[in-house]
Amino acid sequence: MEKFLTECAQSIIDGNAEKSAELARMALDDKHPVLEVINKGFVKGIREVGRLWEEGAMFLPELVMGAEAMKEAMTVLQPVLEEDAAGKSAAGHVVIGTIEGDIHDIGKTLVATMLSANGFEITDLGADVPVVRFVDEAVEKGAGCIAISALLTTTMSGQKKVIEELESRSVRDKISVMVGGAPCNDDWAKEIGADGYAGNAVAAVQLAKRLTGA
Amino acid sequence: MEHDLIKTVWRKVVLMDGGMGSMIIDAGMREGDIPEAWALKNPEKLSAIHAAYLEAGAEVIQTNTFGGSRLKLHSSEAGAKLDPVEVNRKAAELAIKAAREHDSRDRFVAGDIGPTGLFFPPVGQLDEETAVASFEEQAKTLAEAGVDLILIETMYDIREAVAAVKAARKATGIPIIAEITFEKRPKGYFTMMGDTVEKVVEQLEAVGADALGANCTLTSEDMLGLVSEFRERTALPLVFQPNAGQPAIEHGKAVYRQDPEDFAKDLELIVRAGANAVGGCCGTSPTFIRAAHDRLTLTG
Repeated sequence: MEKFLTECAQSIIDGNAEKSAELARMALDDKHPVLEVINKGFVKGIREVGRLWEEGAMFLPELVMGAEAMKEAMTVLQPVLEEDAAGKSAAGHVVIGTIEGDIHDIGKTLVATMLSANGFEITDLGADVPVVRFVDEAVEKGAGCIAISALLTTTMSGQKKVIEELESRSVRDKISVMVGGAPCNDDWAKEIGADGYAGNAVAAVQLAKRLTGA
Repeated sequence: MEHDLIKTVWRKVVLMDGGMGSMIIDAGMREGDIPEAWALKNPEKLSAIHAAYLEAGAEVIQTNTFGGSRLKLHSSEAGAKLDPVEVNRKAAELAIKAAREHDSRDRFVAGDIGPTGLFFPPVGQLDEETAVASFEEQAKTLAEAGVDLILIETMYDIREAVAAVKAARKATGIPIIAEITFEKRPKGYFTMMGDTVEKVVEQLEAVGADALGANCTLTSEDMLGLVSEFRERTALPLVFQPNAGQPAIEHGKAVYRQDPEDFAKDLELIVRAGANAVGGCCGTSPTFIRAAHDRLTLTG
């Protein structure tokens, strides 16, 4: 079992989506405990990918391939998890998008992929998302968190507007808000009353876990 | 005298201009506007920015066409309504007019080409043929409008930079400069995609860039270390345009707090480390370029 879990982790580190999906199917066929395979195998791999990336030993292509491999494995395992947990996502629901007027979505997509790889249910609204739509979607889907990306100094004020919209609909206490993007930082998050800032996709996963208690 | 920037940089250090985006915002571009579209509606304001850089001592000014490739323009709803040929031609004409009106002979207009915003696999699905077609149209339009050189900049993937240089080569015979964007990582300088200086130099030389260098992301201080890494690997002219420090947020606006004098001092060191042309990127303004001009002139 130990060796199998190490193989699972390694398939993610190698960014080998074919291998990770095959290992996930194997886990089901051999009736391995699914949660253990995820947490001690695949998740360990994606964490290592995140660590190597932060260290500067891995770059964007490897990070994306690792996340893709994780997604493939989770696609195989998710249905079984959902049977076990009666449809509840393991880590909570995040509505994510790039704010109105801003078409940069690589960072946002990366965060969405990494969150999904870490067990979050994701509603990705894409780029150029109107303020109202973030709130509409979060309320409708019962999401506990909104993640807003802004890559321009001219669009970052939209992040503040989402928070104001949440307040005006009296749902701010139910939905946490995380912000990211090149011009943002911790001070900006504080200034606009967001619950946190993450500087990269790996930090975003940690922040989302903290905010949703996952 | 022949009007050729590549010949000029071997005779003397050349000063480029600085950031365009923050100048346009200060000039009144509103949230969500596309800089290329805004400038066409406010030509007198764009001309004033070019004039301010020329006045500050910039010898090379860059056209406001960073996001002017067809792929980039058409990636947004507002941009899809624009004709890339018209956008690039008009921006080039404005910059050329500003350079001519300025009372000086040796000024150059660089036709600016930025990234498409799309990614090659595995991050995205961009392929070289598509990228080349988009860059070729932009380079051809800029060259036909009369720019003196093509400046490919802020490229974070060597594959896209190579596509842009190849496209510009197909489109025109004027000099081509390629500036790559590097990050400083614990293990040295790399692009976002992990490209090394060695790989970047080798591939850009192979496709026939006339000058190489780096811009954006790095501060003037961090850029300095990158210069010698380039100089050790190539005999081509080198061009560097660092940012003015790291942005800080003040009252919801990005503010670059670096002192123009410090920036100018760093540019001087960058020249000593082997750069042939220097200028600024994000956060720099005519004030920074004037400081650099005074410093480089004083010591040159």
